[in-house]
Amino acid sequence: MSTLPLLELRGVGKSYGTHRVLSDFDLRVQAGEIVSLIGPSGSGKTTALRCMNFLERYDEGEVWIGGQLLGYSGIGRRESDRDSEAKVDEVRNPVSMVFQQFNLWPHMTVRENVMAPLVLGKRIAKPQARTLADQALARVGLSAKADAYPARLSGGQQQRVGIARALAVKPRLMLLDEPTSALDPELVEEVLQVIRSLADDGMTMVMVTHEMSFAAQISSQVVFMEAGRIVESGAPQPLFNTPETERLRQFLKPWFNRSLTPRTQVTP
Amino acid sequence: MHELLSYLPEFANALLVTLGISLAAAWVGLVLGFGLNALRLALPGFGVIYRLYVWLIRGTPFLAQLAVVYFGLPIIGLRLEAVEASILSLALYSGAYFAELFRSAWASVPNGQLEAARVHGISRTLVFWHVQAPQAMAFALPLLGNQVILTIKESAVTSIITVPELTMTAGRIVSTTFSYVLPYALLVLSYWLLTSTVAAVARTLGQRMTRHLRG
Repeated sequence: MSTLPLLELRGVGKSYGTHRVLSDFDLRVQAGEIVSLIGPSGSGKTTALRCMNFLERYDEGEVWIGGQLLGYSGIGRRESDRDSEAKVDEVRNPVSMVFQQFNLWPHMTVRENVMAPLVLGKRIAKPQARTLADQALARVGLSAKADAYPARLSGGQQQRVGIARALAVKPRLMLLDEPTSALDPELVEEVLQVIRSLADDGMTMVMVTHEMSFAAQISSQVVFMEAGRIVESGAPQPLFNTPETERLRQFLKPWFNRSLTPRTQVTP
Repeated sequence: MHELLSYLPEFANALLVTLGISLAAAWVGLVLGFGLNALRLALPGFGVIYRLYVWLIRGTPFLAQLAVVYFGLPIIGLRLEAVEASILSLALYSGAYFAELFRSAWASVPNGQLEAARVHGISRTLVFWHVQAPQAMAFALPLLGNQVILTIKESAVTSIITVPELTMTAGRIVSTTFSYVLPYALLVLSYWLLTSTVAAVARTLGQRMTRHLRG
C-alpha cells in the first residue's frame, strides 16, 4: 500500500481546437520525489507541467493535488463543472512555480517580489512576510540584493529570485519550467546549484529541462515525451543508460556524444 | 501695444474657460476611460458594450457628438447649458480614447507576470492593482498627457455653441475690430502655452515613475 501521492495525473489531455498537444498523460509524484520531463521542443512537456497547476486548462483526464481534484468539480466533466478561480487557487495552494522567463515584477524590489505572494496571496502580515522573504533570499544567496530592482540583476540572479519567490510560500510541490533555458551558459550552473540544494532538502519538484546530465543526477523519475505523449519513463539510470525505445536513444545521442567519456555511464 | 493690452483681459478670461472645460472634461474622461477598461477586464460580458462605445465615438467627429448632446438631448427633456454640454460631450469623446489608452497600457504588461501572480494565489483584482496598474500607468502617462493635449485643442469646437472660450473670443475680436494678426497670434500662443504646460507635467511625472524600470 502506497501513501497518497502529492500529485497525480490520470489520462490528462489537452487540445487547441483540433490540434492535440497532450494525450493520455499519467504521472504519480510522491512527496520528496523529483521528476524531470524531457523531450524535443513542442513535445508537450511544458503543457503537461502547466496542466499541473491549471495554468493550462486540461480538457481530458484528472489532475489530483493532495487528494483534491484540480479545476473541475467532477470527473465526468462538463464546462459547467469548471471550478471558480477561488476554488482553483485553493486546490493549487500547495504548488508554486518557477518560470523560464523568470516573470519577476519589474516595478517591485527583489524583496517585494518575494513578499508579494505572501502578502497579497496568502494574506500574511507584512513583518512576518518580510522575515520569510529574507529567509528565502538568504537560501538562494541573494540577501545582498534584497533592495535592488530586478533590472539590475543578471539573468542567473533573477532566476534565483524567482526560485526564492516560489520557495517563500513554503510549497509542498514546486514546478520548474525550463529554469535555465533563458540563461547564458555561464549563468546556468549557479541556478542548477540552488535547485540541487533544494533537492538535498527534500523539496518535491517537477521540472521541465534540457539539462540532461542534471536531470540524470537529480531525478527520481524521468519522463521522456514526444508529440504530446509519454514515450518512456522510469528511474534515470536505466532510462539514460539503456533506453528501451529507439526514439529515446536517438534523442539522447547528441548528449552522449557531447558529454564524452566520463558521463556516458550515469552514476547518481 | 495698446491694441494688445485691450485684448488681454478678455483673452485671460477665455483661457481660463478653455482650461476649465478641457481639464474638467479630461478628468471625467480619464475616470470614464479607466472605469471602462477595468470593467472590461472584470466582466467578460462587458467587452461588447466597450467595443460599441469606442466604435461609436471614434467613428464620428466631435462636432457631431457635441451637436447631439446640445441639440439632441433636449428632445428627451435634458436641456444643458452650453458649458455643461461641452464638458459632457468632450468627456464622452475623450473617454473613449482614454479607455483605449488604458487598454493598450494594460496589455503592455507581459502575460507571464500575470501567470506568476495568479499561480501564487494573488487574485485577479489584486493583480490589477498591484501588478498591472503600476506598470501600465507608467507606460500610459506620456500617452495620457498627449490625449489631454488633444482634448484641450478639441475644445475649440465648442465655440460653435457660443462657449466663450479662446477660439470664440478670438473670432469675436476679429469680427468687431477687423484686426486679424494679433488676435489670432494670441490665440495660437494661448493654446501653445496650455499644451506645453501639460506636456511638461506629463514628461516629469513619467520620468519619475519609470526610473527604476530602466535598470
